[in-house]
Amino acid sequence: MRNLLQFLARHNRIFVFILLEIVAFYLIFSSNNYHNTRLVKSVRRSTLAWESIISDVRNYLMIRKLNADLHAENTLLRNYIAALKPATDSTDLLFPSVEKSDSLSDPRYEFLRAEVVNNSVVRQRNFFTLDAGTNQGVDTNMAVVSPWGVAGIIVAAGENFSVAMPVINVDFRLSAKVKTNDFYGSLSWDGADYRYAVLNEIPQHVEINAGDTVVTTGYSAFFPEGIPVGTIADFKKSGSDFYHIKLRLATDFRRLVHVYVIRDRLRKEQLETEKGFL
Amino acid sequence: MINRIFRYSAIYILLILFQVLILNNIQLSGYANPYAYILFILILPVETAGWLLIVLAFLAGLVVDLFMGSPGMHASASAAAAFARPLVLRSMAPRDGYEPDAEPSMAQYGFRWFAIYTLIIVALHHIVLFWVEVMNLADFMGIMLRAAISTLFSVIMILMIEYFRKGR
Repeated sequence: MRNLLQFLARHNRIFVFILLEIVAFYLIFSSNNYHNTRLVKSVRRSTLAWESIISDVRNYLMIRKLNADLHAENTLLRNYIAALKPATDSTDLLFPSVEKSDSLSDPRYEFLRAEVVNNSVVRQRNFFTLDAGTNQGVDTNMAVVSPWGVAGIIVAAGENFSVAMPVINVDFRLSAKVKTNDFYGSLSWDGADYRYAVLNEIPQHVEINAGDTVVTTGYSAFFPEGIPVGTIADFKKSGSDFYHIKLRLATDFRRLVHVYVIRDRLRKEQLETEKGFL
Repeated sequence: MINRIFRYSAIYILLILFQVLILNNIQLSGYANPYAYILFILILPVETAGWLLIVLAFLAGLVVDLFMGSPGMHASASAAAAFARPLVLRSMAPRDGYEPDAEPSMAQYGFRWFAIYTLIIVALHHIVLFWVEVMNLADFMGIMLRAAISTLFSVIMILMIEYFRKGR
């Protein structure tokens, strides 16, 4: 016993080091539960208050740019409304007795607003935090889009905050298609550059060009169809049957502030119907 | 002694605040984030007990982890850097050893000495940090490159802070 204590005392540096590394690695490997442990939760609550203040300052500094983005988006939406208006008016005119279409009064997708209060782009497994949670109707597995296009998927939801996994997380997967020809492939991120992602599984006989737009397919049951993902920046034919496509992401993850969480009212029904077949 | 504890606590708090409030929010170039809080591990007195150094570094890393929402990665990298510090200091000792209450600072040992010392410890910290983050050996060169770029940013940031701290 005495010898053991002496041994420990003489090499205390190494033992303390090993002990603390075990603690650290325990935290890392239990990271799926990490955000749910009580200690982390209570600390996060206080740090989130800080982060809200910081993000307020940061957003204020970017306010001109943010306003320009919102303005551009508003313009686009106004154009859509303008394009839709004659159609709805003519329906009213032709079928005055028909009730307002269900698909308009109760659309499948509902957009909820949220602001990014914490964000990272330099890591391999990036996440961002939103200031909306279950109280605001946000829940896990909902899609998040930015004014430019696809942003991520909610992976954890608290009462007033939620955490989303962005496209720039090496664990992120999404099915996406080339808009011009509807061939679809699998989108992922290689962890290198936050501006670019990789699109695989597009067969080589398909004709694609740099600059082609890539959009979501709607097969994933997360995103509605047709939301922009990015544009083809570069592609090469590899030895396999598929292209290796480098995609310039539509969303600028460093400037991510105003986002929309998409609630799919029929998602549950779709998943239940598919259960047992897919 | 009490005075010293107070002084290092103040430096620690200022560095952590600077790290989480400012540095974590600027993200230079989008590839690298400078980590200036490592300066705290660098400037603790030479005679600090090895175990205490590791514990303090671990706690500093853990606080940064909590603010960044990363589980234990900074804690593990900081503990590794603190573990290596005595070895680095020994190999860089001046000819007649360190003075009894020496502090490994730019003021005492000069810019060149401090820059090399910082580079070694920070590089080690960042290599551990990036490996722990990725957890696989697939993209060896990519990870080393990212660690190298980050190290450069962190070292520049630390040298700048240390330069302004020098007067005190």
